[in-house]
Amino acid sequence: MIQFAPAGPLRRRSAASQTWLLVVRLLHIRILAARREWSNSTVHTAAMVAGGVLFGLIYMGTYVGTRALEAAGATGLLATVPAWAFLVYLLTDIVIAFGQALGDLYASRDMPLLLALPVRVPALVAAKFVLGVLQNEIYILVFVLPFVLGYLGALDASWIAYPALIVGITVFPAILYAALVVVTIVALRIVPARLAKEGLWLVGAIVPTCFWIAMFYRVSHIAGDVTTMSLPAPPSWLPSTWLGWSLSAFGGVGTGGVPAGLGWTALLVFETFAICPPALWLVSRSFARGWSDSFAGAARRRTDPLAGVGARHSSIVALATKDLLTFLRTPQLWFNHIGALMFVVYLLVGHAVQTPILPLTIQLAMVQIGFVAVLGAVTPGMTSLSLEHAAIWLLKSSPLRPHEVLVAKVLVPFGQTGTIAAIGGGLLSAGYGFTLPQSFAVVAFGVIMAACSISLGVAFDTRHPSFNWENPNSINRGPRMVIPFLNGLGMLFVCGAALWVCKTAVHGTPGLLLGLATTLLLTAAAIWETLGRASRNLSALEV
Amino acid sequence: MSAPLLEVESLTKCFGATVAVNAISFRVEPGEIFGFLGPNGAGKTTTIRMLTGLLRPTAGRALLGGFDIVARPEAAKRMFGYVPDEPNLYGKLTPVEFLNFIGDVYGMDGRRKRERIGELLDLFELSSAAGEFLEGFSHGMKQKVALCAALLHEPRIYFLDEPTVGLDPKSARLLKDILRAVTRAGGAVMMSTHIMEIAQGLCDRVAIVDHGRIAAIGTVDELRALRGDATLEDVFLGITGGAPGGTAAGDRLRSIVARSR
Repeated sequence: MIQFAPAGPLRRRSAASQTWLLVVRLLHIRILAARREWSNSTVHTAAMVAGGVLFGLIYMGTYVGTRALEAAGATGLLATVPAWAFLVYLLTDIVIAFGQALGDLYASRDMPLLLALPVRVPALVAAKFVLGVLQNEIYILVFVLPFVLGYLGALDASWIAYPALIVGITVFPAILYAALVVVTIVALRIVPARLAKEGLWLVGAIVPTCFWIAMFYRVSHIAGDVTTMSLPAPPSWLPSTWLGWSLSAFGGVGTGGVPAGLGWTALLVFETFAICPPALWLVSRSFARGWSDSFAGAARRRTDPLAGVGARHSSIVALATKDLLTFLRTPQLWFNHIGALMFVVYLLVGHAVQTPILPLTIQLAMVQIGFVAVLGAVTPGMTSLSLEHAAIWLLKSSPLRPHEVLVAKVLVPFGQTGTIAAIGGGLLSAGYGFTLPQSFAVVAFGVIMAACSISLGVAFDTRHPSFNWENPNSINRGPRMVIPFLNGLGMLFVCGAALWVCKTAVHGTPGLLLGLATTLLLTAAAIWETLGRASRNLSALEV
Repeated sequence: MSAPLLEVESLTKCFGATVAVNAISFRVEPGEIFGFLGPNGAGKTTTIRMLTGLLRPTAGRALLGGFDIVARPEAAKRMFGYVPDEPNLYGKLTPVEFLNFIGDVYGMDGRRKRERIGELLDLFELSSAAGEFLEGFSHGMKQKVALCAALLHEPRIYFLDEPTVGLDPKSARLLKDILRAVTRAGGAVMMSTHIMEIAQGLCDRVAIVDHGRIAAIGTVDELRALRGDATLEDVFLGITGGAPGGTAAGDRLRSIVARSR
C-alpha cells in the first residue's frame, strides 16, 4: 500500500554493510548497462571471440618464446623478463588508471545521487574503489593471465605456482589503483580543482613516460649474447617487481624456488590488505569536500570575446576545427598517442636485444611502424563520432550531408595518427640508420596504415556509437577496445604478408616499392569499402 | 491563404512493436505559435525528433517550408532552429566558439555571424561568460546558449521542446517576447510544454496528444468550448484522463491521502 505520511526511522547499516550493498548494486547496474549496450548478440559474440583470440595469442606467444629462450640457455633473460613484463603493465596501467580514478570519483554521473543517499562517504569511496579494481581485473584476465600461464606452462612449474600467482595477479591492480585513488583525492583537496583535474591527466602520462625512457635507456646498454644476457633489475620497491620475482622463482629460473615465489606473493597480498584499507579510509573522509570544490571552474578571459569570430568557413572546416579544439583541450585523448610513441622508444631500445633473434630489415621496420599506427589509431578512430557525446542532436538536426560529417570525422583523427606515425617512422628510421629513401618507405607505410586503421575505426564507431560516456577514456571500454584494434592488426598482417611476398619475389628496391604499391592498393580498397559503410551508417543514425 | 510552413501528414513512428506516434497530421501556418501538449510519454518529443531529422519516420511525411525532411533533409534543416529538451552542448567550447561553429554549419556570412553572435549574447546576458567553457554552465545558461544557436541563423521555423525549463523568470519572459516577434515577422513556432499557463497565454493553436495520437486540436478558445470548462488545464486533464475528479487516478489519490491521515 502506498503511503505519503512520513515513515519511521530506517534501518541503519554498518560502513562495511553499506560498502557491500553499494558494490553489489552498482556492479549489477554496470553489468546490465553493458549487456544492454551490447544487445546485438553478433557483436557480443565477436567481442568475446576477439578477447579469446587475444588471450590465445598472448598465451601461445609466451609459451613458444619461453621454450625458445630455455632451449637457447637464456636463463638470465628468462629470470628477468617477468619483472619487466609486469613493469610494462604497471606503467601502462598508471596512464589508464589515473583517468579512471578521476572518472570514477569526480566525473561520475551517478555521484550526485550517491552523495545524496544516507551512505557514509568512506563506504562510497570504498565501493567505487572496488568497482575500479574490478574494471582493471578485465585487463589482468586478457593480458596478464595468459602471460603467466604460458610462462609457467613452458617451464613445467609446480602446481602450487598456479593458485599462488592467480591470487598475486588478482590483488596486483588493487595496490596500484589504491595509490592512484589516494593521490587523486589528496590532489583535489590541495590543488585548485581545474588545475588538479587537468594536471593529474598529464602527470599520469608524463611520470610513466619518463620512468619508461629511463628504464629503457638501461636496456639499450645491455651487452653480450643470448646466453649471458639479462635485463637490468627494475626498482625493488615496486609491486610489479615482487610479482615478477615470484613468477621467475616459481618457474625455477629465479632465485629461491617455490618458497621464494610464495614469499613474494605473500608480501604483495599483505601489503595490499595492510595498506589499502587504512589509506583509503583516511583520504576518503575529505572526498566529499573535494568533490564539492571540484565544481569551481576558472574562466578563460579574453579582452574581446568575439576575437575568434570572423571569416566564413565551410561546414567541414567548422566541424574539424571544433573537433580539433576538443582534442587539444582534453588531455585524456592524448594518451593514445603518447602510448604509440612510447612503443617507438621501446622498439629503438629493444633493438639491441631483438636483432640477434630477429634480423632487422626495412620490411620489418615498416611492419613495426605499422603496428605503431594501428595502436595510435585506437582512440582517435573509434571515438570520432562518439566524442559528439549527448550533443549529437546538433549534427543530426543541422543541414550537414553525411559525407561532410564523415570527411571531418576522418580528417581530424587521421591528422593525429598520421602525424604520430610519421614522427615515429622518422625516429625509427633515424635510430636504425636507414637511408632517406628507406626512411621514406617506412614513413609512407606508417601513414598508409594510419589511414586504413582510422577508417576501420570510424566505420565501427558510426555503426556502434557510444554517446553515454562519463569521460572520453571510458568510450572504449569493453568490446569496443578489442574489435577495431584487431581489425587494424588483421590489415597489418595482410599488408605485412604482401611486403614479405614482394621482398621474396623481387629483390632490392623494386621489391620494396612493389610491396609499398601493393599495400597502397589493399588499404585503398579497404578504406573505400569501410568509408562507404560509414557514410551509410551516418545516414541511418537515429538519436 | 499562404502556404503552411510546416505540414505533417500521417506521421508515424514505431519502436519495435510499440507505436510511439500514430499517424498524426497537422499544419502550422506562418505567424503562428503552435503548442504541443500531452502527458509524459505521449509522443511529443518523438514527433519533434522526427520533424528535426533526428529520427526517421516509420510512415507518413513532414514538409518544412515545402521540403520533405526525409527526401531533402539538408534543405529542410536550413528552414528551422531547434532547442531540445536537454540542452547538451560541446563542453570544451566557449559559447562564442560554439555559436561560431553553428554559424559556419549554416553557412552564415562572416560579418553577419559576428554581429548576430554579439547581439544574442548581449540579449541573453551571456557576454560576461563568453570566455568560459560550456561544461561549467548551469542548465539554464546552457538553455540560453541553445536558444542563441536556434536564433542565430534567423530561420523561419522554430522547434522548441520544453524551452522554458531551467530558465529564470526574466529569461522566460524574454523568450516569449522573442517568439511573438518571430511570428509577427512571418515565422512559425512549434513548442511542446507542460506549463498550461504558457500554452494558454502564448499559443495561437494547441494540439493535445495522448498515446501517440492527436486527441484534440484547435485554438485555446475552441478547446475550452469543447467541454465548457474554464481552463486549458481542465480540458487537458479531461482529455488525457488525468483529472482528479471522477477518474480512476483521482479515486486512488483520494484513498491514499485518506489512509495517510
